[in-house]
Amino acid sequence: MVLRFNRKQLCIPYAVFLVLFVIVPLFVIAYYAFTDGQGKLSFENFENFFLNTNTLGTLLYSFALAIVTTFVCLLIAYPTAYILARSNFRKKHVLLMLFVLPMWINFTLRITALKEILSALEGNISAYPFLNSVIGMSYDFLPFMILPLYTSLLKLDKSLLEAAADLGGNKFTVFLRVTLPLSVPGIISGVTMVLLPSMTNYVVLDMLYNSTYIMGSLIGSYFSAYDWNNGSMIALILLAIIFVVTLVTDRFSDKDTANRGAVL
Amino acid sequence: MKRFIALTAAAVCAACSFSFAGCAENSREVVLRVCSWEEYIDLGGWDDDELIDIDNPFGESEGIFGENSMVDDFTEWFNSNHDYKVKVEYSTFGTNEDLYNRLSLGDEYDLVCPSDYLLMKLIAEGKVEKYSENFRTGEHAYYGEYVSPYIDGIFEKYGWNEYAAGYMWGTTGLVYNPDRISDEKDVASWNMLLNEEYKRQVTIKDNVRDAYFATLGIINSEKLLSGGFSENELSDIMNDTDGATIEKAQEVLKNIKENVYSFETDAGKSDMVTGKVIANYQWSGDAVYIMDEAETDASETELWYSVPEECANLWFDGWVMLKDSIKGDERRKEAAEAFVNFLSRPDNAVRNMYYIGYTSAVAGQTVFDYMEWNYGAEDDAEIYEYDLSYFFGDGEFVVEADAANFGFGEDGVSINRGRQLFAQYPPEEVIKRSVVMLDFGDKLGEINLMWINVRCLDVKDIPVAAVCVTAAIIIAVAAGALLYAFRYKLFIKDRKNNPS
Repeated sequence: MVLRFNRKQLCIPYAVFLVLFVIVPLFVIAYYAFTDGQGKLSFENFENFFLNTNTLGTLLYSFALAIVTTFVCLLIAYPTAYILARSNFRKKHVLLMLFVLPMWINFTLRITALKEILSALEGNISAYPFLNSVIGMSYDFLPFMILPLYTSLLKLDKSLLEAAADLGGNKFTVFLRVTLPLSVPGIISGVTMVLLPSMTNYVVLDMLYNSTYIMGSLIGSYFSAYDWNNGSMIALILLAIIFVVTLVTDRFSDKDTANRGAVL
Repeated sequence: MKRFIALTAAAVCAACSFSFAGCAENSREVVLRVCSWEEYIDLGGWDDDELIDIDNPFGESEGIFGENSMVDDFTEWFNSNHDYKVKVEYSTFGTNEDLYNRLSLGDEYDLVCPSDYLLMKLIAEGKVEKYSENFRTGEHAYYGEYVSPYIDGIFEKYGWNEYAAGYMWGTTGLVYNPDRISDEKDVASWNMLLNEEYKRQVTIKDNVRDAYFATLGIINSEKLLSGGFSENELSDIMNDTDGATIEKAQEVLKNIKENVYSFETDAGKSDMVTGKVIANYQWSGDAVYIMDEAETDASETELWYSVPEECANLWFDGWVMLKDSIKGDERRKEAAEAFVNFLSRPDNAVRNMYYIGYTSAVAGQTVFDYMEWNYGAEDDAEIYEYDLSYFFGDGEFVVEADAANFGFGEDGVSINRGRQLFAQYPPEEVIKRSVVMLDFGDKLGEINLMWINVRCLDVKDIPVAAVCVTAAIIIAVAAGALLYAFRYKLFIKDRKNNPS
């Protein structure tokens, strides 16, 4: 007997995983989100979130934190990835490794170390909660920004740059008109990989003494008061936000693939 | 491939038959599922010099020593005096809420160790299996024999005795560094959390119940300090969940949030030892742990523990059996009761106390000997006679402790702060001004919303200028992105319209 695998059948393990651990839990969350404690259909949880200035404030605060973090990551990661990708150093994988290396160390350990460093620099670190959170998150998520940027910059066809230079572009123009547009897919995937987790990763805030809640901690707070309904609703709202963000960024990267033809 | 399948099939069959065989063989074995707090039991492995050198009537050898983990010792002890075997599956939880959520999700534990308020909730919901008659009177009924009369009284008063057996108990208070505060009076009040002098130097528990309790202490400070309340009146004041009180608490907590170093879940211990903060709202057992750590730390700091004079929170953790898991299985129930009794044997209570720093609900001469061994004054020290008779019951139970380890209130007699012994066993006068914090019941939702309001950024608090600037940035970025996205379309359209 010879077992033949259809290519489609290879997806079965993942499909099972997807159904069990993504789709079913999603339905459970949705069930809790739209019911009250007694299991009756209710939109109260939805109202609770959008009519309370405090929970709305959390949404804003999470967004602000996430956007600033992403921006800082991008600011640090782009030059790094650019230099890495363009360097003639033969063993640039080693260099790249140096930037990815922190990921191998347990994240709580890293943040604990960071806490000590920040304490040494700032004195009383509880005085700068927002700044510290941004530093902590950027530290944590930087590799996720560097890697996609590095790949997209590495793929970049050098002949395009030469052509641009031949046509009279100075270094700055070449970067702005050729390199940057061509690296947009990398930027987009880097941004998605940093923006979304930094809206919910409240462990960093906890460890760096930021007492203000973000979305993640808000959900946790409801669950520890046995209020699964409101907690699920906020999880669902977060999911909707993530969905919208992904949709927008997807359009962006699609456009860009089309545009690459235009540049050529 | 054929061979592969055959092998797999063989392996699966083997696994099945093995597990069936296992079932048959283990039918005389009871699996006891215990779930307790993290680091809440002696895990053994003590160093040789850690031997507690006191008279031990229960053990075979001199003194008390944790060689193996308590769970292993229990298994061995149980198997040697029962005609069936027990196997303990020991797991842990981090917070009471975590435990309750796990139970709601259908996790099965025969024996759990929740705090007072969850214990009340579980009893009220009818989830708790009653202890059998045999538990307190049968063979090896160590709990019945050695439980402190004080703990027994409290459990009786709240009607928990049928359902629960006390394990550890204590107070909440402030651990502080006396060298870094200007006046000892400051730490004798919950107002320490609002004290501007120590702005961003004090930590508080990240836990709505403890925060709410301290806040009630602040709100009712003057009233409470005037004194003269009966036990029940005090309990009513500190368990006040009236809407107006919750509203007031929200304002106070917002100020506390601005004034403290942080709300901590676990970092408070190390921050206190390393000196990042000068005071830390803490449970008594962890306070003992912190004081021990700071003493042995390179800095050799001497930390103290104070119970604010307004009112202290008395808490109790107790063992309860769960109906849904026991399912009427007599042997399982017997094993669970034996587990509690084994932990309540005074030498084991001492081992746990030594290991985790909390205070056992068990009294008895052995435990008292341990207190004297641990905290008895040196020969040349000034002696203070620390009376613990309320806890140990009839007889003379006075530890001759070093007077330098206690701090006296303004009257010069009452003790309101001290070191390890004070934290482990508060004096009777502290007990008298303490209350048990009851379950919030159906007010939980309201109080949690208050807590969320405190912890979240209120949109109304954002300055207008910040909103304008942010909005401007967002609009600019969005416009830029749109322009970028549609630049070719716009560009081409322009060319068509103006063929130059």
